[in-house]
Amino acid sequence: MSELKFVFGDPDTCTGCMICVNVCSMYYFKVISPARSKVRVIRIEPGLDFPLFCRNCEDAPCINACPEKALSRTSKGIVIVNNRKCVGNGACVIACPYNAITINPDTGKAIKCIQCGQCVKRCPVDAIWTTTEEGLKKKDSDGRLARIYDEQKSELYNKEASK
Amino acid sequence: MKGVAGTILWADMTNRGIEKKPIDEELVKKYLLGAGFLSKVIYDMVPPGTDPLSSENVLGIATGLLTASMFPQASRHVVAALSPLTDVWGESHAAGFWGPELKFAGYDAVMFTGASEKPLYLNIADDNVELLDAEGLWGKDVFETDDILRERHGKECRTLAIGQAGENLVRFAAIMNDRDRASARSGLGAVMGSKKIKAICVRGTGKIEVADEKNYLSHMDEFYRRMLANPFTPGRAKYGTTSLVELMQHIGRLPSYNMKQGVFEGYEKISGDAINAQYFVKPRADFSCLQRCARYTKVSSGPYAYEGGAPEFETQSSMGSRCGSDNLESVLYGHHLSNQYGMDTISLGGTISWAMECWDEGLITAEDTGGLELNWGNHEVIVKLTKMIAAREGFGDLLAEGSFRAAQKIGRGTEKFVMHVKKQEFAGQEPRAQKSMGLAAATAARGADHLYAFPVLDEAGFDEDIKKRFGEEYLPEMADRLNPTYKGIMVKECEDYMVMIESVGLCKYGTQIPPEFFYDDIALTLKIHNGLDLTRDDLQLIGERIVNLNRLFNVRLGISRKDDQIPKRLTDEPAPLGPPKGQVVELNQMLDEYYEQRGWDLETGLPFMETIRRVGLEEEAKGIALPQ
Repeated sequence: MSELKFVFGDPDTCTGCMICVNVCSMYYFKVISPARSKVRVIRIEPGLDFPLFCRNCEDAPCINACPEKALSRTSKGIVIVNNRKCVGNGACVIACPYNAITINPDTGKAIKCIQCGQCVKRCPVDAIWTTTEEGLKKKDSDGRLARIYDEQKSELYNKEASK
Repeated sequence: MKGVAGTILWADMTNRGIEKKPIDEELVKKYLLGAGFLSKVIYDMVPPGTDPLSSENVLGIATGLLTASMFPQASRHVVAALSPLTDVWGESHAAGFWGPELKFAGYDAVMFTGASEKPLYLNIADDNVELLDAEGLWGKDVFETDDILRERHGKECRTLAIGQAGENLVRFAAIMNDRDRASARSGLGAVMGSKKIKAICVRGTGKIEVADEKNYLSHMDEFYRRMLANPFTPGRAKYGTTSLVELMQHIGRLPSYNMKQGVFEGYEKISGDAINAQYFVKPRADFSCLQRCARYTKVSSGPYAYEGGAPEFETQSSMGSRCGSDNLESVLYGHHLSNQYGMDTISLGGTISWAMECWDEGLITAEDTGGLELNWGNHEVIVKLTKMIAAREGFGDLLAEGSFRAAQKIGRGTEKFVMHVKKQEFAGQEPRAQKSMGLAAATAARGADHLYAFPVLDEAGFDEDIKKRFGEEYLPEMADRLNPTYKGIMVKECEDYMVMIESVGLCKYGTQIPPEFFYDDIALTLKIHNGLDLTRDDLQLIGERIVNLNRLFNVRLGISRKDDQIPKRLTDEPAPLGPPKGQVVELNQMLDEYYEQRGWDLETGLPFMETIRRVGLEEEAKGIALPQ
């Protein structure tokens, strides 16, 4: 299952401009709204800007958490939300270890990144890209990215802070 | 209306009351939002005779029509009030994330009236708006205030705050947002301090709806393509504005030694390359910004160690060459301190360099300074004074008044070394090397200032853009920075355009330098974002209306041609060194051309009634004696 793709960003390259956030809410919901975007950007000093996406976990705890069985993995390996089944109870939000799922306040349905690449192609500094666990390991051969993400994980994935 | 939040917040500091009022769409059609909106509201509410630091002043903070849009560099907000530095129209602008967050919370502007007896801060969480006790925050610096508020109300909040300088009513105190973004000019941080407003903490989870959902993204794609393809963009990303030190040295426009000259022998040590070589960490951007001119920097050790936002060209000039200092670490650190305390680095460096020249001339002595030695380039003293001014300690208390008032108090001939217009210190443009900048400083509503007009088209080979924007007949004179001819035309047109840009909430980078986007692009964006049908002519007229209203605000306070003057040094003393050697600013010639273009009286500099009628300000001009 190492072929599972996800979007990932380099916090040393990202400038924090939030264009990815805006592209996402505009592309999917025709509005500009970070609260309705499937990507978050968090600025943490010293000098880090994290664009954060669904990591497309192999065990996908979001899928198992949903009592309505609204989340599933497609044949291409993408975890999607079935809007007909989703009732917005938020079990997937709680289950996600990356704080990458939110409930759209307008629709009451869960929203998450499906690796569509709309933001990737518009990032003005090429700070984000689509990759796999294996691809990321290769690119991050010196472990810089893994280290930065690990050091900041409590702030990055803290659900209370992003309320 | 689409593309806006639709609500203005009014906070009555005296009675601790909050009111929400719908946006007045008629007013928007006449003035847009941002700078234009504030110009009108404050004109109506702040009559002549108001003490800028009294409860009678009104402080407004407004986003523009395109703030939080997806247009390149759409992050900005404007602050305005009667200025405690100039005693005339006060206005300042900043980028960041605070303005967009305010929109997402559901508000286009916040207006403060009255004054509180005890410190308060405004907390906005979508619909929930409260004035809360700021007892534990008063006395804290800008970074501490940001830390405390985001700890208290949520890490995703955005803050706008004053530091100790604003609390202590330093006349060039800034209003800071997102830690290191500054609305610095005009001293509006002191107005915020006088009202006892420590901060505004915002969290918004709302949305901006746009007028043309269908085509919005494809239009933005084209704007992004153009912005990234512009030959200026890679340099902006690499240097921000820091490499202007090299460029300005090259054309002799780098203010040095309190503007005695426009070249500085130590320029390489404070240059963009010097910052990049040792202290640069990464470029940063604000909301929807592709230019990324913000810098994150670090001085690792020594007395000037810090980590955070880096200076722009203005601070390299004001705290470096202006004070004769080539000590880069002190410039970086001095800038950091100014952000921390919340001060305008331009007026700060302008005031310190005035004191240094007076020291050099023997007009200020150790008796005045409490033993501090103000030799040119004494970086330890520059940093020390930065702290003392913010705290109003010792000699710093006098300098906290700004160079104009400090010279009035001291006398002894120190007045002639004050490099100001309307009591505000000059920014980093030695106008003997670029004549348009001399005129722009003279006519700017907020006093000496390069940004009200931002006439940069004669700066570095924008001949093609001059041709496009003005016509071929103005070449080569208009493009020649040493030639005063046509600069009145250029400054007038640039003022009209720039106040319009400040009213839609966009950055001057991308709209003026580089001159990638112009009226038609803005008109198109106002159409797809807000659903407004405004032509290029409409937008030009709105800009002209705002400039005339700012002028009326100042005319009401007694401003006339006699105040549109720059220091004698710049008009009478030939530049001693470098490329502009022998040049003076032919101000009166340019002023004549400017007034003529504006439809203002050459003798008094007051708008003719006919002009006022043409721009639709008859109501506003009632009771003011204007020439017929």
